[in-house]
Amino acid sequence: MHPATPRRRFANRGQRKNEAKVTRVEDASRLMARVRARETAAFEALYDGYHRLVYGIANRMLHDATAAEDVTQGVFLKIWSSPDVFSSGNFTAWIARVARNRSLDLLRSRAAHTEGELPESLPADEALEERAFASIDAAKVRDALARLPREQREPIELGFFSGITHEEIARRSGIPLGTIKTRIRSGLRRLRETLDGAVTA
Amino acid sequence: MIEHDDVFENLGAYAIGALNGPDAAAVRRHLDACGECRREYRELSPAVTLLATSAESCADAASGAIAAPSALLKARLMRQVRADAPAQAPAAVGMRRMRPVVWPAYAVAAACLAIALISSVYNIGLSQRIGQADAQIAALTSHANALASSSETQKQMVADLMAPDSQRFAVNGGEVVKNEGRAYVAMHSAPMPPKGKVYQAWYLRAGSKTMTPSLTFVPDRTGVAVVAIPGNAKVMEAVAVSIEPEGGSKQPTSKPAFVVKFT
Repeated sequence: MHPATPRRRFANRGQRKNEAKVTRVEDASRLMARVRARETAAFEALYDGYHRLVYGIANRMLHDATAAEDVTQGVFLKIWSSPDVFSSGNFTAWIARVARNRSLDLLRSRAAHTEGELPESLPADEALEERAFASIDAAKVRDALARLPREQREPIELGFFSGITHEEIARRSGIPLGTIKTRIRSGLRRLRETLDGAVTA
Repeated sequence: MIEHDDVFENLGAYAIGALNGPDAAAVRRHLDACGECRREYRELSPAVTLLATSAESCADAASGAIAAPSALLKARLMRQVRADAPAQAPAAVGMRRMRPVVWPAYAVAAACLAIALISSVYNIGLSQRIGQADAQIAALTSHANALASSSETQKQMVADLMAPDSQRFAVNGGEVVKNEGRAYVAMHSAPMPPKGKVYQAWYLRAGSKTMTPSLTFVPDRTGVAVVAIPGNAKVMEAVAVSIEPEGGSKQPTSKPAFVVKFT
């Protein structure tokens, strides 16, 4: 059984995906305001809504459940101890970036190779992104990714989840750097277009 | 301009974080000044969040996606956060079938149940210092883990606490509830034990002369603690709670806060 209203919204994510997702996005900024007011129930609701995303990214990058849990704990403790670090915008994009960057730090400390921190969004776009993609769930995205031509999907996934530079991708694959750059751009566009079709108004 | 073309080409790699430091910095600087590149970047960056979402772990293991982090992680986190937070207003509860006074506290405590159980799993680790039998610790730990990770158990707990045919034994600050082979200590206003101490539950096994140690727990800031006592309640003659040092004791070191005899 769950106390406090916000948590109930996440309780049926499996059945009412679209509704729950839109609610989740709208709520995150409001929940963060309540976290800034030191409300533990709001923090718990944020954890319930986003821990799978954070853990998933970390696990995918680190291939280590314990390390992924450490990243998850670190991200959420940081949210509690320094809630001013997020003030407005697309919370999903923000927390995904934090999760990736923190995982990248761990990767770097393991083996000196990676460089690429995810950049911040241009501020004007964040609200747009949020509305456009609020109702998309992970399964749909995985589906769309699987449908990308392999030559586009691979450099994108390598760059994002392995944290290696595009020069390194080119080197490892033996494909010219310019080609890699183009394929990354084409793949990202295509992914977005595929999912645009699945977005609810 | 050469730099513009270079940056434009790099926008995809930039968006996914695949540029080295100097190249990324160059893109950032250029974006401040170039509308065309900003427009292109705007087209590409939403897909990066989508890409991140594809890694989201699933509750449903059958879907083939990766599992979520353990309930233990959440419990640890919430403990730290609650310890850090100022006293919270009790959560609003929308329960229709309310028992007088005590029930609202149960709804909050149901969420604490996992935390109470899990904190005692940690305490069991500490209690190895005081020499409890390994087998006993292992059994208690695995039972507590099983209880904590099962939402069916939580549903059962709530059902038992609410059922009209459950046996209830009032104690100071709460009650002991028994239904079939399941027993619970349900406190709605338990004072916080002194620093370094916890509450510990005990039960008297039928035919035994001494109390068997069971879970340790602490109430939340509103004084609520609900714990399911591992073991078959049908063979328990009595349940007691006393204040013990963190980590628990083999035998009660203080007079029990209460003893309930099952009739």
